[in-house]
Amino acid sequence: MLDRVIVLVEDNANDEELTLRAFRKSNIVNRVVVVRDGAEALDYFFARGSYAARPANEVAQVVLLDLKLPKIDGLDVLRALRADDRTRLIPIVVLTSSAEEQDLVRSYGMGANSYVRKPVDFTHFVEAVRQLGLYWLVINQAAPQ
Amino acid sequence: MRRIVARGPSQQHTLATLTQHPRIDRAVVYISQWMEDDGTSLVRRLRDGLRLVSTVVQTFAESTSDYRRLLDVIARSVADAIPDTCIVMLRTGDNLTIAAIHDGSGSGDVDRRGLRDRPTAMRDAPISADVLARGPLLIPRIDFDVLRRQMAPSSVAQLEAGGATGMLVVPLAAAGDLHGVLWLLRHGNGRPPLDELDLEIVMDLANHAALAISNARLFQELQRSERLRAAEERAVQTSRLLDAIIENIPDMVFVKEAERLSFVRINRAAEELHGKSRDEMLGKTDYDFFPAGEAEFFVAKDREALASGALVDIPEEPIQTPGGERWLHTKKVALRDSTGKPTHLLGISHDITDRRRELAELSAAKLEADAANRELESFSYSVAHDLRGPLRAIDGFSQALLEDYGARLDPEGLRYLARVREAAQRMAELIDDLLTLSRVTLSDLKRERVDLSALARSLLSGFQRLEPERHVEIVVAPDLVTQADPQLAAIALENLLGNAWKFTSKRTRARIEVGVTESSGAPAFFVRDNGAGFDMTYGDKLFGVFQRLHTESDFPGTGVGLATVARITSRHRGRIWAHGMIDEGATFYFTLTEAHA
Repeated sequence: MLDRVIVLVEDNANDEELTLRAFRKSNIVNRVVVVRDGAEALDYFFARGSYAARPANEVAQVVLLDLKLPKIDGLDVLRALRADDRTRLIPIVVLTSSAEEQDLVRSYGMGANSYVRKPVDFTHFVEAVRQLGLYWLVINQAAPQ
Repeated sequence: MRRIVARGPSQQHTLATLTQHPRIDRAVVYISQWMEDDGTSLVRRLRDGLRLVSTVVQTFAESTSDYRRLLDVIARSVADAIPDTCIVMLRTGDNLTIAAIHDGSGSGDVDRRGLRDRPTAMRDAPISADVLARGPLLIPRIDFDVLRRQMAPSSVAQLEAGGATGMLVVPLAAAGDLHGVLWLLRHGNGRPPLDELDLEIVMDLANHAALAISNARLFQELQRSERLRAAEERAVQTSRLLDAIIENIPDMVFVKEAERLSFVRINRAAEELHGKSRDEMLGKTDYDFFPAGEAEFFVAKDREALASGALVDIPEEPIQTPGGERWLHTKKVALRDSTGKPTHLLGISHDITDRRRELAELSAAKLEADAANRELESFSYSVAHDLRGPLRAIDGFSQALLEDYGARLDPEGLRYLARVREAAQRMAELIDDLLTLSRVTLSDLKRERVDLSALARSLLSGFQRLEPERHVEIVVAPDLVTQADPQLAAIALENLLGNAWKFTSKRTRARIEVGVTESSGAPAFFVRDNGAGFDMTYGDKLFGVFQRLHTESDFPGTGVGLATVARITSRHRGRIWAHGMIDEGATFYFTLTEAHA
């Protein structure tokens, strides 16, 4: 039995808590794995370092990826995930504060499936997360594993 | 030895008069026949002669400045006086030339064109030569047989053909100068033969004529030397002017002779640049002043200019001077003689050291500015990312507090919480507006065709969709087309129309107009509304960052929008200005091109 998880790559504790609250508010029940920098994210996906013992049946249904991250930044994480056969089909949603055009262009250029700007208004934020969850966890037909 | 043969009552007088003349003491006069004459006729002729002489002398004096004319005047006067044909022969070295002929007989005796101005060697003109050497000759009646022994046969033939019956030849002598001879020919036609009185009158005339010739020649000489002197003066002045020009050219000017390439001329700027006087430099070559490598470069360029015939341009060359290294922009060109052979090399060097340094400073400053811009860009990025994070937390946790603990707060507590959320959201708007402003400043400007009419209609219908309950009369002039950066133009128009939309929100009959007029030759677009307007007294505050003329509660806003529009127009080399009145509405004009002066 596959354990379909949501992977949240987020270094900001406030954003992490608010995102988790937004999932809860949206009645999303999937387990959320939180990794707090780019290096940890790659360790998680490639099951190495502190994640070497990660269960094999744990698969990411969707990744919420912040761009500005310690150690390895979001775009490099994205590039690494798309370059590896094990991870190249995982749906990745870039979730960031930045509305810079070049960030958008680069993210899509590197194979992001979606790009969402975090709104300041929490009501809007909850709504955004709710829709994301609905789409990627329910509506979207994932690629066969 | 010739004899003066005279007969008749006038003999003594004539001889006396003749011998008074210094040149006539050796005069030999042939008189083959003395005409019968009474004293009365003689006196009359003398008087006429004297009158004539004084008139003629006057004429001569007036003709001094025109040598050629003088000779004609002499010939004509003498011919008229006698009256006969008169020929003026002038001596130049060993040649005699007929300089003027006047035919007083009216018989057309001589071929003027054929004779005039043709030099004859002295030895071919024995009579003239004899008169020049020994004095006047009077032949009252020509015996052509005798004459043929003394003159060239062609000349005799000519005289004979012209019907000459007598002749009188006198020297033109004045102040020791023998200018030539004066010939007087008498033609038959029933006239009395020439006599001593004629000789005397002609001698007198000849002396005056000779004097006039001397004067005229002197005058000519004077004129020539005056002309020479004037020409010299002009040459000196021209050369002085050229010197002054060369000396005062602020660029180094140098001339080298083509062979050794040593300096033959330098100007003051060259002296100053090299810190050497021209005495130290002239005659020396580049090798005497510069390091070998540098001198070789200069000389190679000199040779190139001399060989090519074209201007050699050296945009930048370093040169060692006592004041340190300088940089020159030098042009070199060959100077050639009339055959095209290069004789000199002319060089002009403009000192570009300062300009070069300024350029270097400028490009360093540009690098710095670029770096600062990049820093600003990354700063803006951080602002976007990092400042919004805490705001999201403030808003998010306020909301969480409201949701989870709202029941435990009284209305005042709930209101505070609402104020916290409002403030956070407003700060988020401010950050977004500032980011737009910085993007407007930093982005590259790409001009393309922009249809402002279409853009305005699209923006306004967007506003209408957000507030469908509002009724606004919208007038957009068609074909407002310009060359501008599409993204920046859109931001500008969005701000202006957004303002118009916002400030007419309290009008029941709101009206927004977009059109074009003209300002200083450039199209000035405008956005006009009948909204809240503004007080022109504070008009200068309209376009400053964070400057607002309305309270937040009346009309919300960040105070960045118009500053952004102003930045956009100035980046397009255009400008923005506004007219308004409180409660009467406002019109914002903007241009996106440089005004034509």
